[in-house]
Amino acid sequence: MAITANPYARSGQTPGRTRRRLNHKTLWAFIFITPAVVFLLGLSVLPILFSGWVSLSSWDMITPIPKMKWVGLDNFAYLINRDAVFQAALRNTFVFAGVGVIINTALGLAGALLLNSKIRSRTFWRTIYFLPIVTAPLALGMMWSYLLSKNYGLVNNLLGIFGIPPQPFMASPDTALGTIIFIAIYQSVGYYIIVFLAGLQGIPTEYYDAAAVDGANPRQSFWYITMPLLRPVMLFLIVTNTIGALQVFDIVFAMTDNTNWSGGGPANSTVTVVLHTYMTAFKFFKMGRASAMAMVLFGIIMVITLIQLKLLQKRD
Amino acid sequence: MRKKKYSLISIIGSVLKYFFLTALGVWMLLPFFWMISASLMTPTEIISKPPPLLPANPQWENYIKIAQVIPLGRAYLNSIAVTLLTVLGILFTSSITGFAFAKYQFPGRDVLFTLILSTMMIPFFVILIPVFYIVKQLGWINNLMGLVLPGIVSAYGIFMMRQFILGIPDEFLDAARIDGASEFRIYWQIILPLTGPALATLGVFNMVGIWNAFLWPLLVLQTKDLYTVPLALNSLRTYGMESQVLNLQMAGTFLGTIPALIAFVILQRYFTRGIVLSGLKG
Repeated sequence: MAITANPYARSGQTPGRTRRRLNHKTLWAFIFITPAVVFLLGLSVLPILFSGWVSLSSWDMITPIPKMKWVGLDNFAYLINRDAVFQAALRNTFVFAGVGVIINTALGLAGALLLNSKIRSRTFWRTIYFLPIVTAPLALGMMWSYLLSKNYGLVNNLLGIFGIPPQPFMASPDTALGTIIFIAIYQSVGYYIIVFLAGLQGIPTEYYDAAAVDGANPRQSFWYITMPLLRPVMLFLIVTNTIGALQVFDIVFAMTDNTNWSGGGPANSTVTVVLHTYMTAFKFFKMGRASAMAMVLFGIIMVITLIQLKLLQKRD
Repeated sequence: MRKKKYSLISIIGSVLKYFFLTALGVWMLLPFFWMISASLMTPTEIISKPPPLLPANPQWENYIKIAQVIPLGRAYLNSIAVTLLTVLGILFTSSITGFAFAKYQFPGRDVLFTLILSTMMIPFFVILIPVFYIVKQLGWINNLMGLVLPGIVSAYGIFMMRQFILGIPDEFLDAARIDGASEFRIYWQIILPLTGPALATLGVFNMVGIWNAFLWPLLVLQTKDLYTVPLALNSLRTYGMESQVLNLQMAGTFLGTIPALIAFVILQRYFTRGIVLSGLKG
């Protein structure tokens, strides 16, 4: 038996040989981790520090780095005082993330509860709900642009049959953001369903059996067994998806006319932080301002992450 | 009497249940159905009111026309190359780094591991400008390598592989050492084969995101011959939103989504497992 033979084989070695062996192993461990560590330092840690520095400077990316002009907090002051588009972007991004995540959580939980009950062909339903997730957000955006277009859109054509006047959807500042949120829900509700379903399937059925013996009705089992045990999963879903939604870009880009430079729907009604950052950096080459925007969003995301860690710790 | 009432409630309950599931399913599928149907229509059909459910005469030549307008074949090849190289990069760096953190003692190990984990909190968007600058300095703008490079190391992948490799008994490694295997050979011939399922999950999980990536390729690629599929789709949009070309646009969009849909249906098991793993670690 190899397992019991090992200690004997090892103890037969001289101390000196053991030490050399260890050094040799340490050396290999360093060789193994070097590529990833160097990479993460160079393309993650260093860039975030550099981003912070650029956010305090004025830079067009063409000027050599040593000649970059230091401007202190000017970029942040500009965002707060003068950049109306950024403020609209911040507001839109919050509404988008907040409303989208809340509706998705409710809808996803409902879907998962149904799929977790006695049901025929669970895999079939799951596959269908998953299709939008594997489809490129850009393609989804184009698909919906057509369906919801004011003049040729199929949805408006259908509404016309019932005598409902054509809705502007993306063409009006009042409905554009709502339309984007609707598409974001369409896009990711399947993800919530899958993760909630996995969480539900992880709850031992004995708990429900025991509760039923004690005379608990289904509603009580839901509130006193399902919900508390699902809490970590729900917290994870809400936090990661809020963080993801705060960085929305693809579907907004796909559904708005980017030939005008602001890029964000009628009257900036759907401009988001990432979209505005992208435009500021790569259309106007104001790297300082763009980095300042990135830092603001990063700060918000860090706060959300810390709240998550805090909430998870409280549970333990 | 009571029993009958219960069964009535349960019948209504299951009717509602299937109604909800079906409604959700129809909502998910109908846009795809419309997209395919519209892609086969004539420009007149597409804007007629009320719209036909299906084209009277499927216009298959729409697909030929769109293939001539945008180089989708080339875009498929570019996307396949980028996705394959990036996934291979992630699998290699995640497994070898995870292996070192799981099975070796070395000074600074825990500090380095915490550092790697903490980089997970940095959204790519925040480091977009510096990474773009680095890739530019390397001369990889408008080069597919510029797409591959920033993606080949995944902090989450390292974490996941470390957790998985921790479960492999040390005895396997020690036995190989006694037989004179080098440390790299232990990784290559013992660890890699044993981590197969985890690697498949990690690979498929990352594949979809890489295939569908848009913002980064939009910045890096400039010429059409290097476009990945999402960028080729985007060039369709500039081609016009007029009713005359809507059918072609939908044909192009459908062609662009097929590979990911097929891959998903085949590899669904791994993809779902990846989602679930990432979701339940919290």
